[in-house]
Amino acid sequence: MAEHQAILKADGLSKRYEDGVLALDRLNLEVQPGEIYCLLGANGAGKTTTINLFLGFIPPTSGSCFINGIDVSKDPLEAKKYVSFVSENVMLYGNFTARQNLDFFARLGGKTALTKDDYYRAMRRVSLQEKAFDQRVKNFSKGMRQKLGIAIAIVKDAPAVLLDEPTSGLDPKAAAEFLDIMAELRTEGKAVLMSTHDIFRAKEIGDRVGIMREGRLVMERTRDELHNEDLNRLYIDYMESAGQPASA
Amino acid sequence: MWRTIVKKELLETIFSYRFPLFAVICLLLVPLSMAVNQAAYAKRVRDYSDQVRLADEAAAAIKIQDIMAGTVAIRGFRRPAPLSVFTQGFESTLPRYYEFTQDGFKPGESATDDETILSVQGKVDFVFLVQMVISLIAMLFASDMVSGEKESGTLRAMLANSLPRDTLLSGKIGGGFLALWVPFLLAFLFGAVVLMFGAFPLAGGDTAVRVLIVLLATSLFILTYFTIGIAVSTSTSKARTSLVAILIVWAAFQLIVPRLGDMIARLAHPVRTETQVSLQKSLLVRSLDAETAKELGRQYDLIFKGAPEGAADNENSPERKKWDPIRDDIQNRARETKSQQLSAIDETYLQERRRQLDLAVNLSLVSPSAAFARFIADVCGTGELERAKYVEAVRSHQMALDNELFSKVKRTLMMHEGGGMSMSFSAQPVDASKLPRFTITPATVAETLKANARSLISLLVWLIAPFAFAYAKFVKYDVR
Repeated sequence: MAEHQAILKADGLSKRYEDGVLALDRLNLEVQPGEIYCLLGANGAGKTTTINLFLGFIPPTSGSCFINGIDVSKDPLEAKKYVSFVSENVMLYGNFTARQNLDFFARLGGKTALTKDDYYRAMRRVSLQEKAFDQRVKNFSKGMRQKLGIAIAIVKDAPAVLLDEPTSGLDPKAAAEFLDIMAELRTEGKAVLMSTHDIFRAKEIGDRVGIMREGRLVMERTRDELHNEDLNRLYIDYMESAGQPASA
Repeated sequence: MWRTIVKKELLETIFSYRFPLFAVICLLLVPLSMAVNQAAYAKRVRDYSDQVRLADEAAAAIKIQDIMAGTVAIRGFRRPAPLSVFTQGFESTLPRYYEFTQDGFKPGESATDDETILSVQGKVDFVFLVQMVISLIAMLFASDMVSGEKESGTLRAMLANSLPRDTLLSGKIGGGFLALWVPFLLAFLFGAVVLMFGAFPLAGGDTAVRVLIVLLATSLFILTYFTIGIAVSTSTSKARTSLVAILIVWAAFQLIVPRLGDMIARLAHPVRTETQVSLQKSLLVRSLDAETAKELGRQYDLIFKGAPEGAADNENSPERKKWDPIRDDIQNRARETKSQQLSAIDETYLQERRRQLDLAVNLSLVSPSAAFARFIADVCGTGELERAKYVEAVRSHQMALDNELFSKVKRTLMMHEGGGMSMSFSAQPVDASKLPRFTITPATVAETLKANARSLISLLVWLIAPFAFAYAKFVKYDVR
């Protein structure tokens, strides 16, 4: 993979909450354009904290994170122009139709000139059923909501995409479709940072995989390196060593 | 970006089950309350016209003998306030008329005499609906605007974009308020049409301006409550907690603080009733008159003791020449003393009321609802200002009647030492058709605004403070 300027970058990023818990400890991480980085870890490992820091929802205790070279702490609004976010449970406005939700979030993302056709195209791209386009989303399944969430990210067309447990609760078909879309985003040159518990899909889609434990990135492997290793075994080994001093 | 948020809030509210419920409540109750109060107003006007006609007829039939006998009681009626269709205020508790006699004035019965036991539950008028129903709905609409979105995760989804929080907050307030205001405005306009069909004098005098003030003040009042709801919502992280907090805040503002203010003021500065004051004045007049009669009798007996027969009736007799200036002097002094002491009683009473009212007003300013109700009642001519104007008009009418009618007959009542009494009269002609008519000069709009400066400041503070509070909270709101 050719070296570009990292779209997503964490530089010694730490977060200690008011209750004293160190949620993130000097995280260094870079995601290049056209790269999918999967963050694995148990609950409380610091994956979501990392995403929250990238989105400027919480301030770092020390260190910095950058989106497209912009320090999120210093200029969060400018930084967020270059990132899309898809959460575990994509939350949408139930009384709005899929297209209305898409239109609203696209406008928030700065896309004010999109047409109905653009929205339909995005929804087709994520394989949302045509009949659902103008239906209210309150009756959508989790998979449909997830697809719509990704459609929102697609129409925003930001260079970076943050995904927080996106495959959690999806059925195998929906999860497979999701991976296809991720692969397309990679082809388009997006830098994707995905937090997940799903070791198998992380191995399947990730260009790099990092394992977090107690706020620290304790292991990082490239796709090539993982060819010769058993990620499942690695993950379990690292999790089992919890309580012992973490080492990268 | 702001418009996008406004549009989204507007649509989200419109699509919710709450909106049609609110719209139906507004569109039914607001015009209905106006129509019902319009009918009641029309009835009061008819009663007023009949009673004024009868009183005029009675006044025209006044004879000098009636005045000599002290049986003349002239009634001055208060014209019902047209804008009482918006708020009843003191409309039914103010005396319908005052009765003016040589001894002073006293209040007549009020319109409450016509009411049934059901009226103890309060009257449903426009201001009641706004205060008790629309304000609560406004707060409930706002209750989950921040905490609810946090709970559902949509707040996180929105703020993952390059969206300034102040834009989001003001957009939420703008859109949410618009969703409330539009049905309210339609209901108000519909109500105005209903009033016009009922021959309401909308174009008379400054009524139209006052109606516009009512509309504007009510709109701002709804915005205030909506913003208070948003402020509560930004202080909690769960919609259910917001709901409970909102109900507590609403009850405090609507039910507790205003009543507590009045109760504390009544306890701290008790005030006698108008009837008690009238009675006190009557007793004073009676006592002063008796003293004067005694003094006159004593002087009369001194001067005319041993005087030839007919000396008292002969204007040229030396006794009579001595008696006349003494009598006039005693009567003038008595009149002055009476006037001073009666004024002192009135002044003390007014001071007591002012003190109580000032405390009640100041305490109630803690609640935007009380400030709003006081302001609207004054704008509609059914509030404290109208009561003060009424009393002012009553006093000046009494003075006018004293000059034009009661002073035309001079009664000289004397109590002699032996216990006997005698009375003499001197009378000037009276043209009953030229007696002054009782009128109340209504407060002008400028006077109303000036008199309500404190209420307006309170409303303004309540408009700005919750927004500032919500802003301060929302900037640091944890959206995770």
